[in-house]
Amino acid sequence: MRFSYSWLTEHLKTNAHFEEIEKKLTSIGLEVEDIQDTGKAYQDFIVGQVLEEKKHPNADKLKLCKVDIGKEKVDVVCGAPNVEKGMKVVYAPVGSTIPVNQMKIKAAKIRGVESYGMMCSEYELGISNEHDGIIRLEEKETIGRSFSEIYGLNDIVIEIGITPNRQDCLGVKGIARDLASAGMGELLERKISREKGSFKSPIKIEIQDNKICSAFAGRYFRNVKNTESPEWLKNKLKSIGLRPISALVDITNFVMYDENRPLHVYDADKIDGKIIVRSANDGESFLALDEKDYHLKNGMCVIADEKKVLGLGGIMGGESTGCSTETKNVLLESALFDEINTAKTGRNLSILSDARYRFERGIDPNSTLKGIDLATQLILEICGGECSEVELAGNIKENKNEVSTSSSYISRRLGFEVSDKELISILSSLGIETSQTGDVIKCLIPSWRQDINGEADISEEVIRIKGYENIPTSNIRLKSKINKNILNYAQKKLMKARHFIASIEYDELVTFSFTDSKNCEVFGDINKLKIVNPISEDLDILRPNLLPNLLQAIKKNKNRNFDSFSIFEIGSQYRSTSPEDQLNVACGIKSGIKTEKSWKNIQTEFDIYDVKQDLTSLIDYLMPGNKKISVSNDCPSWYHPGRSGSIKINNSVIAGYFGELHPRVASQFKIKNKINIFELYLDELPNTEKKTTNKPVLNLSDFQIVTRDFAFVIDKKVKSEEVVTSAFKVDKELIRNVEIFDLFEDDSLGKDKKSIAIKVTLQSNEKTLAENDISEISSKIIESVEKSTSGTVRS
Amino acid sequence: MKDFRELETEIKKASDKFTNIESINEFRIKFLGKKGIISLEMKELASLSGDERKQHAEKLNKIKDTVLEIIASKTEELNSEELEKKLNSETLDITLSTSKSYGTIHPISQVIEEVITIFGDLDFFVAEGPEVETDYNNFTALNTSEHHPARQMHDTFYVETETDGMPNVLRTHTSPVQIRSMLKQKPPIRLIAPGKTFRCDNDQTHSPMFHQVEGLVIDQESNMSHLKGCLEIFLKTFFETDKLNMRFRPSHFPFTEPSAEVDIGYTKKGNQLIIGEGEDWLEILGCGMVHPNVLENVNINSNEYQGYAFGMGIERLAMLKYGISDLRTFFDSDLRWNKHYGFSPLNIPSIIGDLS
Repeated sequence: MRFSYSWLTEHLKTNAHFEEIEKKLTSIGLEVEDIQDTGKAYQDFIVGQVLEEKKHPNADKLKLCKVDIGKEKVDVVCGAPNVEKGMKVVYAPVGSTIPVNQMKIKAAKIRGVESYGMMCSEYELGISNEHDGIIRLEEKETIGRSFSEIYGLNDIVIEIGITPNRQDCLGVKGIARDLASAGMGELLERKISREKGSFKSPIKIEIQDNKICSAFAGRYFRNVKNTESPEWLKNKLKSIGLRPISALVDITNFVMYDENRPLHVYDADKIDGKIIVRSANDGESFLALDEKDYHLKNGMCVIADEKKVLGLGGIMGGESTGCSTETKNVLLESALFDEINTAKTGRNLSILSDARYRFERGIDPNSTLKGIDLATQLILEICGGECSEVELAGNIKENKNEVSTSSSYISRRLGFEVSDKELISILSSLGIETSQTGDVIKCLIPSWRQDINGEADISEEVIRIKGYENIPTSNIRLKSKINKNILNYAQKKLMKARHFIASIEYDELVTFSFTDSKNCEVFGDINKLKIVNPISEDLDILRPNLLPNLLQAIKKNKNRNFDSFSIFEIGSQYRSTSPEDQLNVACGIKSGIKTEKSWKNIQTEFDIYDVKQDLTSLIDYLMPGNKKISVSNDCPSWYHPGRSGSIKINNSVIAGYFGELHPRVASQFKIKNKINIFELYLDELPNTEKKTTNKPVLNLSDFQIVTRDFAFVIDKKVKSEEVVTSAFKVDKELIRNVEIFDLFEDDSLGKDKKSIAIKVTLQSNEKTLAENDISEISSKIIESVEKSTSGTVRS
Repeated sequence: MKDFRELETEIKKASDKFTNIESINEFRIKFLGKKGIISLEMKELASLSGDERKQHAEKLNKIKDTVLEIIASKTEELNSEELEKKLNSETLDITLSTSKSYGTIHPISQVIEEVITIFGDLDFFVAEGPEVETDYNNFTALNTSEHHPARQMHDTFYVETETDGMPNVLRTHTSPVQIRSMLKQKPPIRLIAPGKTFRCDNDQTHSPMFHQVEGLVIDQESNMSHLKGCLEIFLKTFFETDKLNMRFRPSHFPFTEPSAEVDIGYTKKGNQLIIGEGEDWLEILGCGMVHPNVLENVNINSNEYQGYAFGMGIERLAMLKYGISDLRTFFDSDLRWNKHYGFSPLNIPSIIGDLS
């Protein structure tokens, strides 16, 4: 909401400094967002007259002008097409600053000719978008006069943010009233003469649906002249950024911004019969003042005559009855439209208008007739003519809310003592009438404050007027804890996983929860993930997996010359757009160069064993203690079928996957590198809260450790894990560790054979192992491995 | 009586010629070996008697000690000479490069963990809710009816699933977690709810996805002054400053009454924002006393219980604290940015250690 300081002081008698008012506005909840001291910004610009105008010798489009600015005559080079001899112009002298681009005017040679200052367009002065030519001032303007006086810009323009509850401050008067309540002065009542009208309105009004419009007041004016508005009115509108149109339209705009009372004027000669306020018929269409055709639906409030739709109630008037300079007879409307219906209609048709903005927030019913009176006075004064009696259809209900409260309630909510006396005094400053019975204070809320309808609202009014700075500060530390845990197990798991993964060289990314449905079929059912109104076509679904965005990140960074990637994200992915279909996943990618070629190392690349190791160590970290991790080949289709594995914990659910990205998916994402991925479905890890802080018993043996190596030739398709487990199970006490230290594939071993070499570590808790103990267990190991892998030991 | 002066001279002479460990060994054998000079002399003691034997023995033992001492000190001397030589030949070029071995934590995660740490210390537990929400939880239960003008300020994303005949939404704020939590738990309640939020808006200062943290306290006495106290501790701890100019001013949220926005003071020194001091104000969060209608919607008696709620943007906190100038860079996945603004994984926010 924009208003000028001079406009405000028409309603507020005050001795306060502007700075005080500015501070007070913010402190009562009317946050000052911008202040333009236009007087200051325009102080250098003055009226000049073009004395001579001739062609620039070196440029076709430029002209050399001699401009009279009162105290002297200056040469100005000008490029405007409309400059001509005798014209009165706005002159910006050397040293002034052009508002639109903050350019400082200097004396300069333009194409070889000296130029002192500039003649300005409305655009350059930041007044409007008009930049086709420089401003042509009226003949009568005095040379040397300040331009800001002429345009009414010798003022301060204030822009405040109005929260949705403060409909009462969508007019300058309401702002003045709130400032007066907060002790900034006295509210002035505008003197409005109440014309009775000398005849009955020939246009009757009928409300067919009083749910969507409870009251409609109309007044007929005959023989008006819809001229240009007088200077004061034009300047007032210009000062708040509105473009003057014609007196009748300007008057309705003025009343709207002054009294927060939207009005409308119809060209009465274009109305067929009576005015009917009704719900629209499905399929009815209507050409609005914004020159757009709207297709209406049942339930929308229309103002119609007996033949056609004239306007959308509370939102926008129509072309057919718009006022022009020829308009002679008009109908003035001041009505009460339903808030919700106005909001719905406006949203359905996507029409934003000042009227809609106000009606959907609620209009003071009391303003209905006041608005007619103020507009009548102005129309008669500016446009002449005669007015009819006011024709009122429906009822203006004054519905004043009643709220009961007490000082103890208010004090308990605000955190400091408020006495009955103080409470009543603050309320009365806001125009709230009170009556006290015992502790209960009954409040009668004025019609302009429809937002106050509960005790809590009263507490806000009290602190707003008293000042939020007067709220004391209290300690909130508790004597005894109310929450057993700050984080639950699942939350701790996420946080631990994040730190662990970053500690093994991954950089954490946070990417959008949306992604591009293209290329995502492989990851999930994209039809179940659609966003109805996506921000852009390539962010049209909720991500079925963390990978697509991470793959895009790799692509982007590859273009930035990165050739080694260790990135991860922990976040949610979605099975569908139902609230419960959200999963917590940790997904990491290692790709490209693992060790850079250097003085020390040869270059190596990441492979699936890097991500496998990372994934299993992550699971180990998150689930310490006994568990069985097994690996199998059943991976989802975005993995390379031969180079991926799924990880099962304790033979139950699959908790994660690792492997290489399927080459087909990689090429869809236009990635050439091998992408090694791990995914951990964090919700699948059993949620076992630690039962004890004790660690398992530790049995240490001081007897000698012995190691023996074995190599077996087995079929390629036999998993190496089988060798390890079959060796391990021979003696769970003596065998401390089994590790693969060599893998060798060669035709010399036989077709489709490989050699696996293991190192077995043996130690007893009771004695030093003798040679015969060792050879006994060795042969058992050989026997067990050969049996379960159908392989043979290599000697 | 035998005079051992000759022997002593011989020892002295031999000990001056040591060049390596072998020569020391030869020296040892010559004097102390089985057939060494001293050993032989010792054997002869048996043939002596009385005082003479005693005197000879004393003298010989002294000489023996001297020899042992010479051997020990000369060995030590030669060893350290040898080591010195070896060390001189063993130099590595320490200027050759090595590589770093940690990844980074994203600033969003860092700030969320800092926030949790601070509020955890004040006994707020961490609550959660889904990112796809019902219209009821996101708006209606929060006293924002279907046609409330505040809804239009939210630029809501809609999805195709429905709950109770209303399309589900991507939550526009973390406030629906208040509703979910209050339906689950009776007062007293102290919680925070950090998480992702979504609005259909994308420009220099808006991202369609961003993060908020919600706070909620419901009990029998918490009031505006506690709200002020709570936010003061939080902001001072978070910005790691003892000085904090804080300004409450009235605002409007449908789910709080009274509502406030909170500004903190700042000054600019060069390109740096100094938070806490100064006359300029930065808006940092919205808050207020929970609206009685919200409590009634979750079956909490609003005559008995009251409390406050607040919500703030994680990105804004991160930008102000860590000097990140552009909101959109958070989700850009530019690894240069991540490596620059990211945090060490060992840097876990702590109240007793460092917060950041």
